Amino acid sequence: MSLLDNVWVVLVLKLGVAVVVLFAVALVVMFAELKVSAHMQHRVGPYFAGGRWGWAQVFAEALKFLQKEDLVPREADGPVFRLAPMVSLLGTFAVIVIIPLSPVLVAGDLDVGIFYALAAGSVSTIALLMAGWSSGSKYSLIGGLRAGAQLIAYELPLVLAVVGVVIQAGTMSMVGITEAQAQPLFHIGSVGISLPYALQGQIIGFVIFMMAALAELVRTPFDMPVAESELVMGYLTEYSGIRFTMFLLGEYAGMLAMSAIASVLFLGGYHFWGLNADWFGPFVLLGKALILVFVMIWFRWTWPRLREDQLQSLAWRWLVPLALANIAVTATLKVVL
Amino acid sequence: MTTPADRHLLAVHRSEVAVSVELQTPEMTLNIGPQHPSTHGVLRLVARISGERVESVQPVMGYMHRGYEKLAEVRTYAQITALVNRIDWVSGFANEVPFIIAAERLMGVEAPERAQYIRLVLTEMYRIANHLIFLCAFPAELGAPTPLMYALRERERVLDLVEGLTGGRFHPNFNRIGGVKPAAGGGAKQKTRSQDLPKGFIEGTRRAMAAVRRVCDDLEGLVLGNEIVQQRAVGVGVLPAEVAIEYAMSGPNLRASGVAFDLRKVEDYLPYHRFDFDVVTMPNGDAYDRCRVRLEEIRQSTRIIEQALDSLPAGPLQAKVPRVIKVPKGECYVRAENPKGEMGYHIVSGGGRRPYRVKIRSTSFCNLAVLPWLLEGALIPDIIAILGSLDYVLGDVDR
Amino acid sequence: MDGLPPEAPPTEEPPSRAAHWAAVAGATGWTDAFRTAKVRVPRERWVEAHRALKEHLPFFAWLSAIDWTNEVAVGDPVEGDPVEERFEVLSRLSDVSAGEAVIVSTDLPRDDLNLASLTGVYTAANWHEREASDMFGICFEGHPNPVRIYLPDGFEGHPLRKSFPLLAREVKPWPGAVEVAPLPAAEAAPGEAKEGGA
Repeated sequence: MSLLDNVWVVLVLKLGVAVVVLFAVALVVMFAELKVSAHMQHRVGPYFAGGRWGWAQVFAEALKFLQKEDLVPREADGPVFRLAPMVSLLGTFAVIVIIPLSPVLVAGDLDVGIFYALAAGSVSTIALLMAGWSSGSKYSLIGGLRAGAQLIAYELPLVLAVVGVVIQAGTMSMVGITEAQAQPLFHIGSVGISLPYALQGQIIGFVIFMMAALAELVRTPFDMPVAESELVMGYLTEYSGIRFTMFLLGEYAGMLAMSAIASVLFLGGYHFWGLNADWFGPFVLLGKALILVFVMIWFRWTWPRLREDQLQSLAWRWLVPLALANIAVTATLKVVL
Repeated sequence: MTTPADRHLLAVHRSEVAVSVELQTPEMTLNIGPQHPSTHGVLRLVARISGERVESVQPVMGYMHRGYEKLAEVRTYAQITALVNRIDWVSGFANEVPFIIAAERLMGVEAPERAQYIRLVLTEMYRIANHLIFLCAFPAELGAPTPLMYALRERERVLDLVEGLTGGRFHPNFNRIGGVKPAAGGGAKQKTRSQDLPKGFIEGTRRAMAAVRRVCDDLEGLVLGNEIVQQRAVGVGVLPAEVAIEYAMSGPNLRASGVAFDLRKVEDYLPYHRFDFDVVTMPNGDAYDRCRVRLEEIRQSTRIIEQALDSLPAGPLQAKVPRVIKVPKGECYVRAENPKGEMGYHIVSGGGRRPYRVKIRSTSFCNLAVLPWLLEGALIPDIIAILGSLDYVLGDVDR
Repeated sequence: MDGLPPEAPPTEEPPSRAAHWAAVAGATGWTDAFRTAKVRVPRERWVEAHRALKEHLPFFAWLSAIDWTNEVAVGDPVEGDPVEERFEVLSRLSDVSAGEAVIVSTDLPRDDLNLASLTGVYTAANWHEREASDMFGICFEGHPNPVRIYLPDGFEGHPLRKSFPLLAREVKPWPGAVEVAPLPAAEAAPGEAKEGGA
């Protein structure tokens, strides 16, 4: 009877590995952002740290942030100010439980997989409001309130876009959704061809999900709360050092988590035609997730930011009705076909 | 005329539904600046805001007041030329031109043809540099950091050319009473020879102008064609023509409101009448049109530079002036079309080596007078867009 | 104008426009020297003259003042005959079509620096009058917001008056005023000439 038969030990191990993998890849995402944005702007990006490639820049920055002074402004509400970054990370941690790297490599394949992820992930809304309110600065306050309004507004399209997929797959479990997409849709000779849901009629849902995910992550073009040219970092103005790193890491890990969820729901997850899911699954999933991360980075460095009222009108007047229409059409077709 | 509140309601909140419950919320006083990424320097706006809407704005300036007019009373004319580069530091050479022409008029000296053409070429190059900086800063304030890099790359080409000619990128200090500075290291005899432009300057300028035109096309697609920029800038900060004239706006801000007034066509401080270029106006007077005017003016400036270099006359670079400059008594005001608007110097000379009084009519100080009117009822992000579209620098505002 | 035949004729200034504007404004005199048209109005007619000129010249370029005095704390006094000691307030008006312009000036006695404000006629005069009152101490009656515009609160004095010294120079003499000994073979006098030459 080995240690691995104990359920709790296995759970802790799985969570530990998941967290480490997530944050390792989040560092890669951070580096990708630096280099990709640089090359898009005719620059080179980090150059000196780590040969002539700059790969050590991310570690250098992490170390730099770790050794900074621990500043809490005098006007700030101390306990809330200190707690906000941890709550934000909590929201991101909670989501990685259900991301399936392969049919067996998943921290916990819950039956209510995606429902749990969306619910737990929205804890970070509170974190941003806490950060904005407790900083004791007017700029942070404006940023925090903008963040609250934005995140609440974009929760709805996020959830509604997922409902279409759940209807089509018939299950909320992430592994189940992936397996449903892996079922062959039609046959060419003796070869079965399966299509990811993005190509099986959920393209609108995919677009809505990506936009809502960008807004949930407070990234351009939805980064009004952190509008650097207006609010000097918004709700993050008063944060420095390791607390700022926690927010930053949460943002990049969140990017990766949201991209991974999107690739499971809409792009087929760890399944790829002709590849054995047990061996190649993790690489396939990470590959799809990183492609979506690249697209997010691309959007950030190309477009300016939407104004707050334009952002809200986009969510309430366009995305929500479209998502509802999507659900109606999907449900009808599911019954009919 | 619609009130500012009506105007902004029309432009911004087409879909706003009237709230049935009136919430009494207190107003907040927010200091935008003096340290702020988007105020183009140390401008302080004391804004009373209610939520995201600004009720009133009061600009507070003077954080950068350097006392130019007092300094000008204790400096000789050559020294003042070096100083006034720094008023509007983005368009360095263009600050010197009206000053030196006013001093020349008082002395009765006319700069030779070649010097006038070189002054014209340099002024237009700095106009290109200034408008490219605008195209960096305006999208960056809206949230798009990439056009900054593209525009600055081409600006480097222009500044390298200027550096090759004058020795300075931002503060060339190239004008002298009676002309421009002779090539460095030449000595007294150099003034009569016409080998004064650096080798490769003319070809380099032609290549640079082609590159600038290419980046104008790029930026037109990247910035002006972007739907989000259009949503943020069209209909924002609308300045009607009569308000613009009432508040003495000048330059591209005035022309974007539809008033076709360009001092290069009206005044003859430099030989602009010999070249073929258009006065760019746009009808609406919003932030988007101000951006379009400046982009189009870059193209017109490239035209002017190419025509000037094609017909560059030979001759000396500086007229004969005494070694110690003493300007006779009199008063003279000369104004010029600087990249940001009308800039002028009123020199009151008491007959000595130093002027008795110099009044500097700086563009941005006059352009910002419209801020309380323009920003009333705007949203906070719109403030940033409007400030960015007015294109001012604090050195110009505070002198 | 240039000595070379121009390809396209420049905008020529009509002769003696200053006389025309003087008549419009009801001025007591005009000058047109160095291509700068200037009309003089008495102090009581300051606002009236501007009101008369506004319909032709709607653009208010600037307003400022000159401190005419014979004893200056910094800089050089006027050479030649002593000047009449007064404050002269200037404003420049122009149009936005043909390039017409005129400078309107009035004199204030040194012990009575009050002048009616132009903000009722030209809105753009607001900040210029604040600057003139900040720098010279002229009081503009009827100005809606007569607070200092450039100098910090609590600043004492009016810097652009000729009696106001350059404080930095009081503390430490300006290093550029050092006389340099002439080189043995130099052709011109250094020091002084170095300041005024190219």
